[in-house]
Amino acid sequence: MSSKPAFKVLGRDTQRQDGVAKVTGREKFASDLSLPNMLHARVLKSPYAHAKVKRIDVSAISDPTVVTLTPDEVPDARFCPRLMSTPEATYKDWTVLTSKPRYVGETIAAVAAESEEAAQRALESLVVEYEEFTAVFDALGSMEPGVEPIHDYIELDEETLKVESNIACHLEIEEGDTEEGFRQADHVVERTYRTNRRYHTQLETKSVLVRPEPNGGVTVWSTTQTLHNTRILLHEIFGIPMGKIRVMKVPIGGSFGSSIQVNPVVPIAVALALKARRPVKLSYTREEDLHDHCSYQMIFKLKLGADREGKLTAGHLDAWLDIGAHQIQAYPLLGCVVGWWVSLYKLPAKSYVGKAVYTNKVPSCAFRGYGNPQITWAVETLMDELAEKVGVDPLDFRFMNYIGEGDLFWGQGPSVKSVIHSCGVEEILTKGAEMSDWYNRPRAETQTGRHRRGWGMGRGYHTSSAGAPVPGTVIDFGGAMLKLNEDGTFDYVSALMDHGGGTLDANAKIIAEELEIPHHKVNIVRADTGTTVYDVCTHASRGIYSGGGAALKVAAQVKQKIREQAGNLLDAYPNALKFRYDQQREQAVVYAEGIEGREITYKELAYTMRNKNLGTIAAVDSYRQPSCPPHFTGYFIEVDVDTWTGKVRPLRVIAGADIGTVINPKLAKGQIHGGLAQGWSMTVNEDTPYDPTSGDLWNRGFISDYKVPTSMDLPSLEAFTVFFADTYEPTGPFGAKGIGEGALNPVAGAVANAIQNALGVRFYELPITKDRILEALKRKEVEA
Amino acid sequence: MNPINKHNTHIVMPFEYHQPATVRAAVEILRKHPGAKPLAGGTDLVPKMKQRLLEPKHVVNLKKIPELSVVEDRGDAVYIGAAVRLREIEKSETIRRRLPLLSSCVRSIGSVQIRNMGTLGGNVCNASPAADGALGLVALEATVHIAGPGGERQVEAKSFFEGPGLTVLGEDELVTGFTVPVPTEDTGTCFISVGRTALDISTISIAVALTMDGDRVKDAKVVLGSVAPTPIRLADAEKQLKGKTLTEKLVEDTAMKVSESIKPITDIRGTAEYRREASRGMAVEAITKAWREGRTQR
Repeated sequence: MSSKPAFKVLGRDTQRQDGVAKVTGREKFASDLSLPNMLHARVLKSPYAHAKVKRIDVSAISDPTVVTLTPDEVPDARFCPRLMSTPEATYKDWTVLTSKPRYVGETIAAVAAESEEAAQRALESLVVEYEEFTAVFDALGSMEPGVEPIHDYIELDEETLKVESNIACHLEIEEGDTEEGFRQADHVVERTYRTNRRYHTQLETKSVLVRPEPNGGVTVWSTTQTLHNTRILLHEIFGIPMGKIRVMKVPIGGSFGSSIQVNPVVPIAVALALKARRPVKLSYTREEDLHDHCSYQMIFKLKLGADREGKLTAGHLDAWLDIGAHQIQAYPLLGCVVGWWVSLYKLPAKSYVGKAVYTNKVPSCAFRGYGNPQITWAVETLMDELAEKVGVDPLDFRFMNYIGEGDLFWGQGPSVKSVIHSCGVEEILTKGAEMSDWYNRPRAETQTGRHRRGWGMGRGYHTSSAGAPVPGTVIDFGGAMLKLNEDGTFDYVSALMDHGGGTLDANAKIIAEELEIPHHKVNIVRADTGTTVYDVCTHASRGIYSGGGAALKVAAQVKQKIREQAGNLLDAYPNALKFRYDQQREQAVVYAEGIEGREITYKELAYTMRNKNLGTIAAVDSYRQPSCPPHFTGYFIEVDVDTWTGKVRPLRVIAGADIGTVINPKLAKGQIHGGLAQGWSMTVNEDTPYDPTSGDLWNRGFISDYKVPTSMDLPSLEAFTVFFADTYEPTGPFGAKGIGEGALNPVAGAVANAIQNALGVRFYELPITKDRILEALKRKEVEA
Repeated sequence: MNPINKHNTHIVMPFEYHQPATVRAAVEILRKHPGAKPLAGGTDLVPKMKQRLLEPKHVVNLKKIPELSVVEDRGDAVYIGAAVRLREIEKSETIRRRLPLLSSCVRSIGSVQIRNMGTLGGNVCNASPAADGALGLVALEATVHIAGPGGERQVEAKSFFEGPGLTVLGEDELVTGFTVPVPTEDTGTCFISVGRTALDISTISIAVALTMDGDRVKDAKVVLGSVAPTPIRLADAEKQLKGKTLTEKLVEDTAMKVSESIKPITDIRGTAEYRREASRGMAVEAITKAWREGRTQR
């Protein structure tokens, strides 16, 4: 379908520049770093789910070198640690330390000492008096009258808001006449869904090292997805001029969205370092990290109507987001939940009521997909049920209603709308159906015996960035710098972060493609806020589409400058010059075709320019992408359900992805494998339930009771097929789109539908654990 | 100081480290320092110390005591030293051939990394109701060898456990090894367990040993894990099998008996209802497999 240019660098597997450091364990992450004269910090956590700190007594600390930090010693500014939205969409309810803890584990005070052990001993000498309040652990219960308010007042764009019924924020949207739409429907299904609350289980726990500088500034090495927003936030909290805050790029040991916000460790360590006048390191234990962040638990009441042919006529969604004790990005998420929902299938009329609700639990933040896996699970489950009612195959039902090329799309919320220009949905669904022999899958209710097999499918997408033709409430632009070195190599400098998926290498390949050189000639520089232009954050699957777009923009500018300088030196017209790579000289060559002697390598060009004092060829620019094209994905999954133990096993997985031009096939497939693993676990396993008696996580933060799958739980590589649709995104760098989040979003729907196909039972609550499966089978047996 | 600010530290309290070369010396240290903790693989002890659930002032390393690390085929029984690593047991040809039930119990413990460190003695002394190794020892009617200041004593495996984390062991006593009787040729065995993921502590586990005369059950042992404060033998289920000719119906009835006679609790790994429900199917599978194996081995 596409007329793709032939690529020299893209589409081939290449070795990552950080590969050797990572596989040999020599890469240094924030938690590995140390500085001379450094202090180690530990934090004091609230043992109560809801309380007021009446008094903190530090006098019992016997070690005179210990530095303490209490709530009245930090700036009393309220802030939002996540700065991706415009001020009118940024709700502020955080402080550096709190004297009103709102969940078990919230940080009240901190100490720094010569060793982690000394810090811990000092911490244990603190005496704290609390006044305890009643706590609430359920979003619906939290809105009931008479429930203790979790926040009295919060701030929005310099204004103070009173919080009513523990509702943090809300959003209502209606397009078209929904009532009329449902009247036109021949079939209507309404169901209530409840998702789980998952922990990110990223490899590296949240860590930071801060060095106070003699000029009053700070240098910060931290786990973050955004250098520049870290700097802005520290400026806002501490009032330090931005030029004196230097946030360094440190490799991040996985994140899955948990460092989109500036993690609480960062301002705490900055405050400690400023007070101590010494470098301070704060690195969370795994148990502390489990008390730091998790995904959003959501409750949906979803209603869809379709006519007798199977065309959707209307939809209504009520969504309650359990956001925990603080807002990280609840308001933008309310917009995204409706955006994700209405951009899956064409709904002539739709309405939405979304509420984000405070509870006395660990604050929720984005987790790969930012609400999309949650709502897509509900939609894909309901689509199957509705198809059954209409009497069409669920796959055909999706073909009839999906949003694709030429359609308006607002995945990132109502203020981020754009039109789709590349779509691989048809190819993904057609091929997947063929490979799975979809139309001959088992029928639900027909199987007996201990082991039952089922096929399920689910489809979805994620946006590649949050770009659009006009500004909305979501900030999304980036930038890059590129310069030609004297040996013909290039330095690529950007604030973009690589989460481990190879984003920066992909962008180096985009630059290499443009400049006709091999990928290894583009050096990825570890930079910082002082040496890079603004980039909002590496999130929203924007690393390649948006970050690569910026890289391509500066590469094209550099190429033009090479033409001009080479034209001068070769006495040739710049626009007539051509480029090729000379394998023998290992240099790119700029030449006037057919004219002997009129050629110069990048190296000769750069050296000559140096010797003649002509300057450096370089470009730096910002880039705002015109759209946020969806990268579509689809999964066909076969499962085995053991009706004796309730255990579900994946037998076969067929995954199709439309990511536009594929830059690095192995790494892109790796994203799909990882997406399947997380989605699988989301469906059948993960959750962070609370113990209402202690108010703490039931597992108390111990990873031994937060199970994630290993290779033994997942399909064998032979049983896992990944294919890419043949598409080209006209607004993307060399036709590329994202993949990170789309790889996960439809998995839960596909797995849940497969379980239904095997057992003839539908589940409306995640995770579908072995316990819930046996319970449902027993109920079914009793009812029969 | 509230536990949340202690149990998250990974920082243990200071302790004195002892490394005796003989059992006698180890017992002497335990006697001199009440509350001292023996250290074998450390896969249970060290996390508990880092979680500050235990704060021993003395830790006694047992890994340098040669006699605790022997595996010996003694004809009608196999002797396994308490500090033999789980991975060694798993790889031992003797144990795989002579005690296939124990071998499969041990393979189910943790991951390879855990089994490289952990020991059978540790698995037993930690006294978790979910200990897979303990299940095998109870089903095979092993004898636990205990050394103390007064010399050695022996206890039946099933009487060793007194509750979660509790055993008959005195503070100055030490498990030195296990004598595990080799089942007769006509005995079939089976161990199965279910967890949340492949690498998990069992939500529920079952070990069955059936001594068969054709299809007639001469002797039966049915042991369950994670359904009671200790690994338990189900006398009712065993009684139902003994002396009877096995049929699919009898297996089903016995499995129902298993499910009815356990009183599991709900914890983070699974609900009480789940355990009760799953025990039925697991019992059918384990009894059936042991039956087939006992019959064919004759």
